[in-house]
Amino acid sequence: MMSVAAPDTSLGVAHHVREARDRRATLRIAGAAHWMNAGRPTSALGTLSLSALAGIVDYNPGDLTLTARAGTSLETIAHAAAAEHQWLALDPFGDPSGTLGATVATASSGPLACAFGTPRDNVLGLEIVTGDGRTIRSGGRVVKNVAGFDLTRLFTGSWGTLGVITEVTVRLRALPEVEDTLALSIDEHPETVGALLVRLRAAAIAPLALELVNAPLARVLGLAETMVLLIRLGGNADSVRAQRAALGFAGGITTVPASMWNVLRTCEPEHAMVMRISMPPSRLAECWVAARHVTHDVLHDATPDPTRVARGARPTLMHGTVERGVVRCIVPAPSSDAVDRAIAACATLPATVIFERLPDSAWPRVPHALHGRLAPRIRQTFDPDGILNPGILGATP
Amino acid sequence: MAHPLSAALREIVGPRALLDRTSELLAYGSDGLPTYHSPPRLAVFPETRDALLAVIRLLAREGCPFVPRGAGTGLSAGALAADDAVIIGLNRLKAILSIDPVNRLAVVEPGAVNASISRAAARHGLHYAPDPSSQTACTIGGNVAENSGGPHCLKYGVTLNHIAELEVILPDGDLVTLGNANGECDGYDLLGAFIGSEGCFGIARQVTVRLSRNPEAVRTMLADFMALDAGARATSAIIARGIVPAALEMMDGPTIRAVEASIYAAGYPADADAVLLIELDGLAAGMDADVREVERICLECGARAVRIARDEAERARLWQGRKKAFGAMGRVAPSLVVQDAVIPRTKLPDVLRAIHSIAERWDIQVCNVFHAGDGNLHPNIGFDARDAEQSDRVHHAMREIMRACVDAGGTITGEHGVGLDKLEYMPLIFSPDSLDAQCRLRDVFDPAHRANPGKVVPVHACREWHMASAAR
Repeated sequence: MMSVAAPDTSLGVAHHVREARDRRATLRIAGAAHWMNAGRPTSALGTLSLSALAGIVDYNPGDLTLTARAGTSLETIAHAAAAEHQWLALDPFGDPSGTLGATVATASSGPLACAFGTPRDNVLGLEIVTGDGRTIRSGGRVVKNVAGFDLTRLFTGSWGTLGVITEVTVRLRALPEVEDTLALSIDEHPETVGALLVRLRAAAIAPLALELVNAPLARVLGLAETMVLLIRLGGNADSVRAQRAALGFAGGITTVPASMWNVLRTCEPEHAMVMRISMPPSRLAECWVAARHVTHDVLHDATPDPTRVARGARPTLMHGTVERGVVRCIVPAPSSDAVDRAIAACATLPATVIFERLPDSAWPRVPHALHGRLAPRIRQTFDPDGILNPGILGATP
Repeated sequence: MAHPLSAALREIVGPRALLDRTSELLAYGSDGLPTYHSPPRLAVFPETRDALLAVIRLLAREGCPFVPRGAGTGLSAGALAADDAVIIGLNRLKAILSIDPVNRLAVVEPGAVNASISRAAARHGLHYAPDPSSQTACTIGGNVAENSGGPHCLKYGVTLNHIAELEVILPDGDLVTLGNANGECDGYDLLGAFIGSEGCFGIARQVTVRLSRNPEAVRTMLADFMALDAGARATSAIIARGIVPAALEMMDGPTIRAVEASIYAAGYPADADAVLLIELDGLAAGMDADVREVERICLECGARAVRIARDEAERARLWQGRKKAFGAMGRVAPSLVVQDAVIPRTKLPDVLRAIHSIAERWDIQVCNVFHAGDGNLHPNIGFDARDAEQSDRVHHAMREIMRACVDAGGTITGEHGVGLDKLEYMPLIFSPDSLDAQCRLRDVFDPAHRANPGKVVPVHACREWHMASAAR
């Protein structure tokens, strides 16, 4: 039977990890348990939930740093920081009740990565219980720190396969004085998109986010029936006004509610296949076409057929982070044949493809993430018995 | 006696790229922190990336330890070689191989000088953002090894945030690529783990850096205060206001006077107890509002005056005083040690007071010149290393300063690295288990402990060492 433990201290976490190790039992680590279908299926027998290990430990607004237990939700942090006119500038996809620990463990980010980077750029220090049950600390609570080897970066994005993150210190930022979210409706033609991106790159703007969304997603967001470019501007009033003026060349730009960004974060349906395709930012338009090819033409094994949507088949949602050259595709409820065709097509792309969610049966067809000679050894070093999230990044040799 | 590998290495790099005479090697006995001195027996300077690979493979076959060295400007005694360790000088591998202005990337060799990358990128309106004070000499390979910072890291981030990909030669001679310049990365963040590993995980033989757009507008301001505390309060107030300056630097009275008495005189008011050098950059629109706000905050915190550089010449002059402050202190005393602790910004007034009282107690002269915006202190102590009693006092004072910073919730190094110099402080901030985890990560990259041995982690403080000695 599946056992679930939910310790409320890091000592408790260490105790459970040691006990599991002694029993040779395996553990699935869970935060809010929203993303359990992300990553590969694990073969873990028990669950170690961090939902009770929650709460802000230390928040000093003057230092713009915050330390919280891993199970603290992103919305709890957002709420505390907003009271001081600050924010944690990370907007990973998923419900805001998702946890800080899961965000860091999976290195998840969203459109704000355009200006503020990913978790690796925002995490200052960690407390971790490694797979052998020892509690260690990396980094610290200050904004600049090069003392010792950088375990903080190593554990960020390691999907719980090296240790259980129990506490996280992050860098906060002051909320912009003024914010403005703009939408620009565009023609989904590679040349049009490419030309627009070239002009955007040269424009006197410093966007907080610059996200391209396809027509089906624009419809979900209530924006338009076309492809849309979403632009998030921030700064003092003069700066935001001037940036908006600098976008005048595009014409037809409208202000839309900032709540758009939260809708975007939570738009993916339960049983979707989700993947990210990336190329250098200069080739975003090309990357977009490749992503559309894989998720539309290949999945539906046919030329694009607009009537399919009308008949009720749910279309693929796509959005691209312009500055980072990443296109994320959300395919609602694909058939298993279609998934196999898409995986095969991805393997031939001159791009980096990362799968976030797939049907369990499809994962064996995806190369595992612990390749090379170093990664498997690191896993072996910090979780010698392979008890934490076994299989989530692929089998270790 | 010649180093046993002297002849074999000469075969690879040629006679002009190898030093093995004591007199020639003296200069390689120290880095930028002259209180440590340990001349190597052999130094090689490969002139091609293939020669570098061949050197490392030979050393691997022979089980010989090595120490990578860039320009030798480091401030932690990290590039020193003991015993038979061979210095691998990377400063002749300085080519800028390509620049991709659209994706804002540059591919360079490890010996490329930091400032040369910005110079090469300038015609595209781009620059490489991290700017250590030694940027006209220090190399990108050294920056990667130390995860170097610099004044402009307050806004733009440190080396870690600006490296896209590395081609690394592991200590056993294997080549691996870390990171991905062409898209996202999956799996463990080995690029992040390598950056700041101080030469203990291998040698990057090719570095892909991210370039940043040159700002549309730059404003440099100088605010002077009659009390250190007031300058520290202004620092916190500016950041708390939500303005992120490109740089926010502080110099105390003794530093100001050392600079003003030197050839680097920058026109700082010599009677001030502190000056803040504040630079705002970014889009031109909205800049004036931020400048006015910074000025208002400084005056409100007790600044006597806030001067705004009128042109590029004045701006360069204000910066020169800051960047050459260490050099200016050469006039004050024959030896200089510099520390690099980081504290929470709001603790600046308390810790600066503590440093002052420690200096008085040990009767030493401390000059503070530092990155106030991110709480990264650089207390400098000028002294005479030939005077054993004075050196002893300096050492005690340094230790106390370090402890005060750690007690304030800080760390022991923000950008200079641990090297040899801060080994003794590592147990102040890390438990034996935490240090042991670092040792175990090193073991993955370098199981034979041949790359920069004896640096970064004090092996005797690790848990395993305690257990082993308890068993004896």
